[in-house]
Amino acid sequence: MLDIVFIMLIFFIVTTSFVKETGIDPRRPVAETTAAKPRGNILIGVDTNGFIWMNKQRIELNQVRQLVEDAVNENPESSAIIIADESSATGVVIEVMDQVRLGGVIEIAVAAEPEAT
Amino acid sequence: MRRKHRESDEAIINITPMLDIVFIMLIFFIVTTSFVKESAVDMSRPSNAPPKTEKLSEVIFVRIDDSGQVFVRDRLTDIRAVRANIVSGLAQKPDASVVVAAARDADVGILVRVVDQARVAGAQQVSLVALSE
Repeated sequence: MLDIVFIMLIFFIVTTSFVKETGIDPRRPVAETTAAKPRGNILIGVDTNGFIWMNKQRIELNQVRQLVEDAVNENPESSAIIIADESSATGVVIEVMDQVRLGGVIEIAVAAEPEAT
Repeated sequence: MRRKHRESDEAIINITPMLDIVFIMLIFFIVTTSFVKESAVDMSRPSNAPPKTEKLSEVIFVRIDDSGQVFVRDRLTDIRAVRANIVSGLAQKPDASVVVAAARDADVGILVRVVDQARVAGAQQVSLVALSE
């Protein structure tokens, strides 16, 4: 039993990635080519008004880079997911993408809901 | 000497406190593990570094204006027809890459749909540029 408990412990330690939620739950756009991103642990929310959310608080565009750099220092393998509302402006999302890239994360994806078939 | 040796042989390590700690850690990690699995669409975005010049003839240019209208190769296209248009473009130039240029005020939903449709159409590379005013 001790063996099993230890194995479970190690499993949960390894899989815990401490995802920091954005704090908003927007309506995601629908797409056909979605892929699950288990490694995406930098979540950035963009709401309808163009506000940017990270770690459950509203942040400014110029803070994005610093926060992304911090996340990369914690976990160099992290990739970013931008959770943008369907009707938010493209400009904000592209600016956020630029900042994330400057922060050192190349893998960027935009959250989307798989199309109901 | 002999007695001492036997004593250490029979000593039993008390593992109960360790077990307690291990269980508490186990419960902690079970609780904090969040299996958030976002599904997402990959977006490659050209960096700010000098872009590699692609021959214009090998690019299928998709423009989204600020009212959300989609233009494939400068022809107004319905969102549902984007895929067919890109497929026919790729049939002519199989190596073409798709460049999606979106106006600042366009909705993200449309952008994602267009990138998605381009992927479905079989484009090797879909890149995203911001449309300057």
